Amino acid sequence: MPIFTDARAVPAGTTIDTDLAIIGAGPAGITLAMALANTPIRILLLESGGGEYEEKIQALYKGSETGVRYLPLDACRLRFLGGSSNHWGGWCRPLDDSDFEKRAWLPYSGWPFTRAEIAPYFARAQALIEAGAPVYDELKDKMDGQIALGDGGVYTSYFQFSKTRGDVTPTAFGERYSADLRRIANLQLMEHANVTGLRLAHDAKSLDRLDVATLSGNKFTVKPKYAVVAAGGIETARLMLASNDVMKTGVGNGNDLVGRFFADHAIPRNTATLVLFDGKIAPYYKTTIDAAGVHFRATFSPTESFKRERQLLGSLTTVENHVELDALGKAAVAETASALGVDASNARAFALGCGLEMAPDPDRRFTLTNERDALGMPRLQLHMTIADSDFARYRETIKELGRQLLAAKTGMIRLDRKTRSEWLAVMDWGNHHMGTTRMHDDPKQGVVDANSQVHGIANLYVAGSSVFPTYGSSNPTMNLLALTLRLADHLKTVFR
Amino acid sequence: MSGWKTTISRRPVIAGALALFGLAIGGAYEAGLFRARPKGPYGDLLSSLDDLDDAPIVGRAYLAETKNFDAKAVAAQLRTRLSNRSLSDVLNIDITGNQIAEAGGWVLPETLALLCALAASR
Repeated sequence: MPIFTDARAVPAGTTIDTDLAIIGAGPAGITLAMALANTPIRILLLESGGGEYEEKIQALYKGSETGVRYLPLDACRLRFLGGSSNHWGGWCRPLDDSDFEKRAWLPYSGWPFTRAEIAPYFARAQALIEAGAPVYDELKDKMDGQIALGDGGVYTSYFQFSKTRGDVTPTAFGERYSADLRRIANLQLMEHANVTGLRLAHDAKSLDRLDVATLSGNKFTVKPKYAVVAAGGIETARLMLASNDVMKTGVGNGNDLVGRFFADHAIPRNTATLVLFDGKIAPYYKTTIDAAGVHFRATFSPTESFKRERQLLGSLTTVENHVELDALGKAAVAETASALGVDASNARAFALGCGLEMAPDPDRRFTLTNERDALGMPRLQLHMTIADSDFARYRETIKELGRQLLAAKTGMIRLDRKTRSEWLAVMDWGNHHMGTTRMHDDPKQGVVDANSQVHGIANLYVAGSSVFPTYGSSNPTMNLLALTLRLADHLKTVFR
Repeated sequence: MSGWKTTISRRPVIAGALALFGLAIGGAYEAGLFRARPKGPYGDLLSSLDDLDDAPIVGRAYLAETKNFDAKAVAAQLRTRLSNRSLSDVLNIDITGNQIAEAGGWVLPETLALLCALAASR
């Protein structure tokens, strides 16, 4: 059988037996398939799209939104081979230790394991995203021109980037690994195969089969021994909620958690203004550069101890474009520099951007609507929220950065957003879909367990950032790949 | 050693003396010795600021966000802070002690913000 097949050519009514079905050929699905290459496990990788963007397939993603303005659900992700890696920005950084901790002040926090559990997988994840050697904050000892900060809670952190050199875009998993997938003897990749139902056994304790449909009207069945849903942070929840024939609230949703706790990284624009008294800034703060063998950019992040002490969430702050100061700004800079005994005659100002972590919120959720897509699947509605405390926590971080700049006599900060309406007016989002099938040891608090197995369903797993119980401020791709590689090791033991 | 004589011309001596006087005057000006003390009830405090033109602008921004600003009480507090300490030292204490204020969003050492507010209150 050819390794790449098309579901539209499968005879209607066919039942395909396989050891492992992977639903979705995005970064997680492709990584899982490659990690299980050359094992005795027969893998069927089911992808809704083909090798290129197709409007009718993308339209399956349409949905609606209420609450805080969010991106259209068919614009914030991509539905073809490689998934949303076809439009990602390539930002990479492992999650911090504190991201995994249960924090008494942060409801719903705490992963079922520490960072050490996935740390061994970061190197392979880093290789898959082609971000070079994982140096990250080691760059601080190698780079000249780092902005001097006084002692405190914010430091210059470093993000590395997926292969982005010249006109080469970040690693698009479909295009980049298509040839590798074709060489995997135990893999069949089926394109245009939309899984429309996770059908459980009558006792709801195991997955029996998958309903598969194509936009051309073809329908057939896949009967896997095990299945992994790797359809992205939104579609995974949709498929589980819509599969409600045996479990009336949806697969894995006995405790009403599927679709809840959705999260993204909030990216409000122009949140603050940075003034550097000497006007000098190293280029790696403002854009990505190649140096020390990697492609990277410097940002400002809160330290682990500062986050713990002040009960703050993660964030990254970027230096953006040069801006002119108004009369108050000029006066504040002149007055402050003079009082500190610093020459500010060459001072320059820059807008600051950010990505900030949100606190988990069960009411930030997806629900099914009565509207149906072309395959008869119910469409989703998102209710989006963001707490004032999320903004306040980030504001405190930037204020600390301002204090440290004053301490070092290198510059100062203006906080440009204060009220909720000011924050919301400049709000954008990272397209980092997380949390909708959160991981927890307790089935009442999580959809999947520490192995990413859906609680109570022996042969069904979830891969991807939908399992993140809290989110950190690092971009999810590299971290979800590490989790996926860990899942691959687990599945090897399951099949042994 | 007959015939040997050390001679000093008056002209360079006078020129040197004038130059030294000029330097002294300049230094004193820089040190603020000839600068008029700012007028008003907080002149003694505001004299610690080099830039009295910009201070009220910053001060107005601070006052716009501060309820119940009691200038007299603040002045008394600042006199204590600034007694036997330079403004620079006090600002460093503020910064390291996280005594930080905001004026129109600008993150400032608290003492500087308060001085600016007094400048705006004159």
